Amino acid sequence: MTYAGGVDVGSTQTKAIILSENHKIVGRALINTGANVSMAAERAFKQAASSAGISPESVEYVVGTGYGRYKVSFGNAQITEISCHARGANFLFPKTRTVIDMGGQDAKGIRVGEQGDVKDFVMNDKCAAGTGRFLSNAAETVGLGLDRIGPISLQAKKPVRLSTVCAVFVESDIMSYLAEGKTVPDILGGVHSAIAARTVALVRRVGIEPEVTFTGGVSRNIGMVKALEEKLGLAVNVCDDSHFIGAIGAAIFALERTLGGEASPGPGKTGQVLSSQPSAAD
Amino acid sequence: MATALTQSASPLESVFAACRESAQDPEFSVARSWLRAHPGRKAIGCFPVYCPVELIHAAGMLPLGIIGAGNQIEITFADSRFQSFVCSIVKSTLELGLTSRLGFLEGMLFHSICDPARNLASVFQRNFPDLFVEYIHFPQNFTSPLGRQYLAREYRRILEGLEQRSGHAASTQDLNRSIALYNGIRARLREIYRIRTETPHLISAAESFVLTRAGTLMVPEDFLSLLDQVLGELPSRPSKPKDRIRVVLEGSFCELPPVGLIETLEQAGCYILDDDFLRGWRWFTQDVPIQDDPLAALAESYSERAYYSGTKHDSRETKAEHLIRLAREKKADAVIFQAAKFCEPALFDYALYRKALEDAKIPHLLLEFEEKTWSFDRVRSEAETFVESLLFD
Amino acid sequence: MAQSRAAITDYQGRIHNLQKDMIGRYYSRLTAASQNASEKAIYMLISGNPVELIEAFDMIPVYPEVNALQLAVKKQSLPLILAAEEMGYSTDNCAYVKADVGMYFAGRKTPFATIPEPDLILCNYVGCNVYLQWFEHLKEYSKAPIYNLDVPFFRTNSADPSEEDIRYVVKQLEEVIEILERMSGKKLDYKKLEHIVELSGETGALWSEIKKLAQQRPTPFDAYFDSVMMMAPLYCLRGTEDGLWFFQEAYKEMKQRADNQEGPLPEERFRVVMEGPPPWPYLRQFRDMFSRWGAVAVASTYSTVGGIWEFGFRHDPQRPLESIARHMLQWNLTNRNFIQRYRQIKDYLRDWNADALVIHSVKSCRLFSAGQGDMREYFTKQLNVPTLLIESDIEDPRYFSEAQLRNRVDAFFEALEHQRMLAKN
Repeated sequence: MTYAGGVDVGSTQTKAIILSENHKIVGRALINTGANVSMAAERAFKQAASSAGISPESVEYVVGTGYGRYKVSFGNAQITEISCHARGANFLFPKTRTVIDMGGQDAKGIRVGEQGDVKDFVMNDKCAAGTGRFLSNAAETVGLGLDRIGPISLQAKKPVRLSTVCAVFVESDIMSYLAEGKTVPDILGGVHSAIAARTVALVRRVGIEPEVTFTGGVSRNIGMVKALEEKLGLAVNVCDDSHFIGAIGAAIFALERTLGGEASPGPGKTGQVLSSQPSAAD
Repeated sequence: MATALTQSASPLESVFAACRESAQDPEFSVARSWLRAHPGRKAIGCFPVYCPVELIHAAGMLPLGIIGAGNQIEITFADSRFQSFVCSIVKSTLELGLTSRLGFLEGMLFHSICDPARNLASVFQRNFPDLFVEYIHFPQNFTSPLGRQYLAREYRRILEGLEQRSGHAASTQDLNRSIALYNGIRARLREIYRIRTETPHLISAAESFVLTRAGTLMVPEDFLSLLDQVLGELPSRPSKPKDRIRVVLEGSFCELPPVGLIETLEQAGCYILDDDFLRGWRWFTQDVPIQDDPLAALAESYSERAYYSGTKHDSRETKAEHLIRLAREKKADAVIFQAAKFCEPALFDYALYRKALEDAKIPHLLLEFEEKTWSFDRVRSEAETFVESLLFD
Repeated sequence: MAQSRAAITDYQGRIHNLQKDMIGRYYSRLTAASQNASEKAIYMLISGNPVELIEAFDMIPVYPEVNALQLAVKKQSLPLILAAEEMGYSTDNCAYVKADVGMYFAGRKTPFATIPEPDLILCNYVGCNVYLQWFEHLKEYSKAPIYNLDVPFFRTNSADPSEEDIRYVVKQLEEVIEILERMSGKKLDYKKLEHIVELSGETGALWSEIKKLAQQRPTPFDAYFDSVMMMAPLYCLRGTEDGLWFFQEAYKEMKQRADNQEGPLPEERFRVVMEGPPPWPYLRQFRDMFSRWGAVAVASTYSTVGGIWEFGFRHDPQRPLESIARHMLQWNLTNRNFIQRYRQIKDYLRDWNADALVIHSVKSCRLFSAGQGDMREYFTKQLNVPTLLIESDIEDPRYFSEAQLRNRVDAFFEALEHQRMLAKN
């Protein structure tokens, strides 16, 4: 049985996925990145292998992705998270034609072809408007946990209009509204609405085509899902694995290379070219 | 709406309220209802700063100020065309077009004020192929008569394009009639500004602003009557002078500040005696002469009878001279320089103003604003602090 | 997949050193002029300028734009920018201007020259509105006389500017001649001017031939990164014998490389058209980002700010003032509207066989950048040309984020490669 791995090193969290040659996810891990990026990559990879019940050495090929991809010292290749997100989203939702990714610190829009290929992409990596950082600042200002602001935002009756999308200035904006007596659901409704509008405006640059798949940490926020759907006028795909989409895409690239014979050997193996036939052990 | 604005028995407050509504209307209801009532008539949009509206009017069309979308609409499409470091007015004006709010216009006139506005003209051309889009290159050589002569020919070129769209050739009489009409409007606006300097408690800067703005969105003949009505009622307005500092404001000649921002400055303790809001629609310091060659009269007036503007690079005077002169003439206590975010011409001017105002010992405050604001707490604090520093000196 | 191959980022041919020498000599002239007023210094801007007139009067052209970019290349721009910001310039003002103003108030001393004070500030207003502001500020600081040479924007979609516009510019050129005559105490030698205009014409012709060599596969030079090296003599030495000689040598060298099928990289894998000025403080790192993918520029729009000769225009010694006027009105990038610029890029994509368009958007320069989103939209959605839009700045080193830029460049070429693979299968 051939295994391939993908390690997505983000600024806050590192994710690893192990795929078997029949494209099944057999192992996964999610840890905080912390200060030592290459150690985080290694740890996540080892954890994912162990959750698959295999040794790390039996993984033939590893692709590193995410902002820390060059720190995946044991990786065989580095591929940007844009390509990996497109691939991963296509794997989970084959009809994906647009990916909206909202992470802790950046937001992306990707237009995807039938084969999970990237047709076009756009990124906002210059400021925190439209990212998880904006939401966590807002959550802190109203004194709620990040996991609660989504559901509460859905209770808004008259969402407020934020005067800024700056993650720093949103705090004083929210405080003004609280002082004015606006309700927390209304404020949170406004926050989610403003971010969704901003994100949709960003993604429009690559064109929005159904189906739309929403990935990244913020996709677990039901308030944001609804706000996006409202601004798009379309349903969006989300799933529990959306955190892992980058790592899944990376693992798919890894698997392709090892099965296609282009691979150089994974950690611990000698320079044998591996056959793409499943072994009897499966 | 047009009739409501010219009702003879309306008290001033309701006039200003109607003007404010018109100023904040991203659907151009006043203009559109007039066009519906006059089938066959067309309108041309004028982007800031100065537009020779008489050309449009003489060709039989209605000039309208298309000056961004204020804080009324969300920018969803224009963001993909212009980057984050471009001023809001360029994006919001494009957004108006991309959300089909400008379909009622026959055309748009742009001209040389800055690089983003100039590029906007091309973006309009490419995205709205049915729209008559023209770009006026205003001369920047004022040291010889060549510039004026060039401009008169440029006006001829623009006029010919306008005439083709309206189907009406503008005669010399047509042009002079239009010039006389707009002279009348500008003279009345100058009178409003004189009243603001001498008796600032009679009409606030915010009121004068929405009045001027509403005027750019309606038929000029109606605006003339409205101005007469307002000027008739102002002297007897029951309003008392307040203890405020006297300021002149400059830098807001293109993107429009939200009305709330102007009110905030006034409430923070300023009488804004003079400003450059909608400068292009109040371009001339005196009447444009009525003569046999109206285009030459307009071209000459552009350079010789104009208020100062940061987009007109007249090397005959140093940058800040006019501002210092103005502040002294108006007996202002201070200058507020209020530039739109990312406004290149204004922000460049400020570097020269700052030194000159310091040397002339004229206190000043720099503010940056965006049309898309509806919360003014921060500005209020800044302005109040500034006022206090002057009052408690 | 192409990753981490040793990047070749310097094209170190003979002309590279030749150009260094020549520009070195040009700057020595500036330093001499600053010390002993040996020559009259005329400040001008690069896009479409009448340097031929300046040369005809034996005066020395000074280019604040070139000085600013040299400061950025030598990583000296930031302290000057900060000094200007302290004076009241905004973070949103063009950083070329800020660096230049900072330099002016630092005694006009740079690592490469001491820049003389202007004897005349000749503002050739060719498209860029910031030019007007920049030079009016310099005028206020230096108190030197200023002449705004007003070149009407190429604002219609007709093939040529109007006769009226040409006449307006020619008449202003005559006024400039009068000013220069007063300054020099001599009458203009028309024969000399004709000769200088002829030199400009021949130089432009050679530049055009060099650019055409890039139509080959592989291109003998990178039409963006190597072009910027050749642009310095084009701007600072146009209309001189030295300038012509440089381009004769440059053409010989490039032709030889073309004949030997030599390109700047071991393998040319992607041919791109580059739009926008480069990030001067980070030229090498920026070039590396593309070289590692085997991506080479076959055409660039930035290399046409000083003049577009590849579509047939020549300075004409039979009509010196008129051809100078045409050059300023029409045959340079900055005086053209977006529609014309899109057409120029389209021509490059087609005639130079390019695979993709890369738009480098710079915060300082709104002439280039404001609205490039529309350019991107046009090329991707209307023409189906793969287009990458990246952002940094020409002068201010604070706006260059290497990790983020590299991410975008990598993602783009990954996608192109993936598309090629799919197309093959």
